[in-house]
Amino acid sequence: MLYTLLAGLLVAFAAPLLYNWLGRYTVFPLALLPLCLFLYFCAQVPQVLEGGSILQSVTWVPELGMNLTFQLDGLSLLFALLISFFGFLVVIYAYGYLGKHPLLGRFYMYLTLFMTSMLGVVMADNIFCLFLFWELTSISSYLLIGFNHDQKESRTSAWQALLVTGGGGLALMGGLILLSIASGSYTFSGMILSGSGEVVTHALYLPAVLLVLLGCFTKSAQFPFHFWLPNAMAAPTPVSAYLHSATMVKAGIYLLARLSPVLGGTELWMTALLVVGGTTAVAGALMALQQTDLKAILAYTTISALGLLVMMLGIGSVLAIEAMLVFLLAHALYKGTLFLVAGAVDHSTGTRQVSELRGLGRNMTYTGIAATLAALSMAGVISFFGFVGKELLYEASLESKVFNWFILGVNILAGITFVAVATLMSYRLFWAKTCHPTALLHHASPNLYLPPLVLGLIGLVFGLIAGLFPAPLLERAAVSILPRQHVHFELALWHGFTPVFGLSMLTLLLGYLLYRYLPGLYKTTPRLQKLYRYGPDSLYQAGFEGFLKEAKQFINTLQNGYLRNYIIYIVLFFCGLMLFVLWRDAPHVNLLGRADIWQELQLYEVILFVLVVAALLYILGTRSRLTSIVVMGLVGYSAALVYILYGAPDVAATQLLIETLTVVIFVLLLHKLPAFWYLSHQFRKYKFIAISILFGAVMTYTLLLVQEHAVESELKEFYGEASYLQAHGRNVVNVILVDFRGLDTLGEITVLAVAALGIFALLRLKPEKGGKP
Amino acid sequence: MRTIIFSTAIRLLTPVFLLFSVYILFRGHNHPGGGFIGGLIGSIAFVFHVLAHGANATARVFFSLTLYHYPRQAGHSRTRYFMQIMNANLRGRRKGYKENRWNYIFVRVRPVYIIAFGLLLAVTSGTIGLLAGQPYMAAFWMDVHLPVLGSLGTPLLFDAGVYLLVLGMVLKMIFTMSKE
Repeated sequence: MLYTLLAGLLVAFAAPLLYNWLGRYTVFPLALLPLCLFLYFCAQVPQVLEGGSILQSVTWVPELGMNLTFQLDGLSLLFALLISFFGFLVVIYAYGYLGKHPLLGRFYMYLTLFMTSMLGVVMADNIFCLFLFWELTSISSYLLIGFNHDQKESRTSAWQALLVTGGGGLALMGGLILLSIASGSYTFSGMILSGSGEVVTHALYLPAVLLVLLGCFTKSAQFPFHFWLPNAMAAPTPVSAYLHSATMVKAGIYLLARLSPVLGGTELWMTALLVVGGTTAVAGALMALQQTDLKAILAYTTISALGLLVMMLGIGSVLAIEAMLVFLLAHALYKGTLFLVAGAVDHSTGTRQVSELRGLGRNMTYTGIAATLAALSMAGVISFFGFVGKELLYEASLESKVFNWFILGVNILAGITFVAVATLMSYRLFWAKTCHPTALLHHASPNLYLPPLVLGLIGLVFGLIAGLFPAPLLERAAVSILPRQHVHFELALWHGFTPVFGLSMLTLLLGYLLYRYLPGLYKTTPRLQKLYRYGPDSLYQAGFEGFLKEAKQFINTLQNGYLRNYIIYIVLFFCGLMLFVLWRDAPHVNLLGRADIWQELQLYEVILFVLVVAALLYILGTRSRLTSIVVMGLVGYSAALVYILYGAPDVAATQLLIETLTVVIFVLLLHKLPAFWYLSHQFRKYKFIAISILFGAVMTYTLLLVQEHAVESELKEFYGEASYLQAHGRNVVNVILVDFRGLDTLGEITVLAVAALGIFALLRLKPEKGGKP
Repeated sequence: MRTIIFSTAIRLLTPVFLLFSVYILFRGHNHPGGGFIGGLIGSIAFVFHVLAHGANATARVFFSLTLYHYPRQAGHSRTRYFMQIMNANLRGRRKGYKENRWNYIFVRVRPVYIIAFGLLLAVTSGTIGLLAGQPYMAAFWMDVHLPVLGSLGTPLLFDAGVYLLVLGMVLKMIFTMSKE
């Protein structure tokens, strides 16, 4: 499994190179990769169907529990098959859609990178491994949404998607870590083994659940974080079809399903999923009806479908999980098809507005057939896989123990909307009689209509043989979600004339009626615009802009270009921290007990002290730069003398040299500075003096404290002995620097090198005219 | 400060300073000294040179190398050709060939290169331990004892990296500041 990911990464980063070599034929190696992956996963199916799961582990940072552990069980395999198969189709489709785009190589790189990271997400067993790939999907999705980077809309949408899903990712990280603390395991399989009772009753359960839910809801575009998904439609259509309907947005669903044996079963879990999922389903359905852009309509119905999936997970019964899995597969099949169809229509006609598209069936027959197949599945017409899904959804909601009327209502509402949208997407676009069919710019190439056709047909075939093929795999997937229950699936197309069938027919009828009234609905849409001003999207925009503005203002105040202010901030902040720590838990210094130290005072100490203080006082009064530099040098040399007196020759030598260099460098610079002038009020000077005194006092006090409460340590003896015996050096200071703590020194000199480059940049900076002095 | 006495003294003293700084670098392991101090002393040598002669002169004298050469003609004795090249490069006498046909390669060692090389040296000194299967930066000592310099080992290499880095950094600052 690790090799599948490695192959993916390799191919992803080789894609631009391949594009340089092969030009438009890059599509062949890149389509080959997902095809091979798909075949590989197909080959694993028998083993998983027998009830086994494939585990693979590579140690990475075992001390922190970070390992590349992968597990391929029913749920993972279902997703992996979906991802690799869709990946294959989308790569082919993208070739037809983007065609001669100069950045096709880069596009394939992002796409393959995304596919690999998505495979990583569904196969990961270790939480850190999952998080890594989870973030990779966010980043590659950001790159894909912003693929048309010359358009502002693409860029802002990409930003938005990254911020929302990335923010959710952070929450998820926290949640997963809390979860691992609560369950004592870093792997999902370990968490499930340790049993949910332990986690559910743990004190950290509530924050863990909330954080995990936040991560999953942002990823799966649940209300109120749904707004990024319609905006993400700025991406090229293959991306929308792949990421934003079939795979990435389902990552949240996947994780919820994966964690439901650990976290699920509680009131909190159930209520949160039902309420959020229900709200999302209703909101998505209502908003889908107000859109006239094909991709926007599909995006909002996707949101609605995701809401339904979350709701089913919330119910958590065997039937609900069965419904969830069947609907997930059906939705991926038909929604992917419809997106691809929308892309083909957009490509061929140049528009996505419903009102401008009529009678396309005559010229785009195959695309039309694909759209019709998918739409019939979406509407839930019998003999299509969508029908099986819809029946199960209704059945599961009727059977639910809580809120069952609410759930059923949401389901029916979403179902009616789906029927209306499906009719719109197929009948209205392709087959409705019209005198003025929309003119085509060009005919759709096979690359554009074959992938949706294949997907649409699969939707039909799965419906016909529902019990034969998808059922066993879905059953294994359900076992992964409900490890402690007996799961047995029997998918059948025909259940007889049950109430559920009646509901299904009623949905179809109401959906068709809704479709008839859609044009009327569109007229009322503008009136609702006011409402959106307070929607999450506008709130996000306002928050984002406000944040940027405030940040700019904050930086302008703090980093105003005056070096002295920077130093003041640093010094004051440091003093504040020190004083806080001293006030909180430091013992008091016994100053009186130190009085007798005065008697041991040596004459040279007094002389040095007087010298330094006199020099400092003199500096405060002088107005000549040269004088102050020389006097500062004097202070520095005195400090060096102090070091020598107390037996630190290395430090003293360094201090001496540094002082010399400082004075020389200052002298070099001196004649370039403007004449000395008080630019600010004299009061400033006293402020600086006060800050300096504060800093000095804090440092002195701290040093006294350290001296009084010296930490007993064997370090000194150890270094004293080991430096000669082990490190062959008699100069302990130097041995510590270059040998014992060599890595620290390496870090320091690296900082020094970077600082040198920074100084260079600063000195060569030509200040603008009229800039701050 | 460009007095004749100062310039002349500095011209004589700079090599002495440099020699001293290298000595400090080597003795650091057993006595006060080391790469940092050595590097500072070395850089002070150059700083004084800059003060006395100007940054351009310092860069020309110490941090650039001009290699002279000319294409060898057919039938020209190899030994003679070699001798002429040596003469031109080491003694600065470009004779024996048309004077204006000498080509030259101008190599300039910028302070940033010194910084980078120092960092590289410090980093590589640690990898020797890594290659021997021990932790990064494990020390290795050679079993020789040189008269003035003491024994040789990877920490010394590390210290030399520090020396070069400090030297390069001060040079960079001085050269940048004295320009314009």
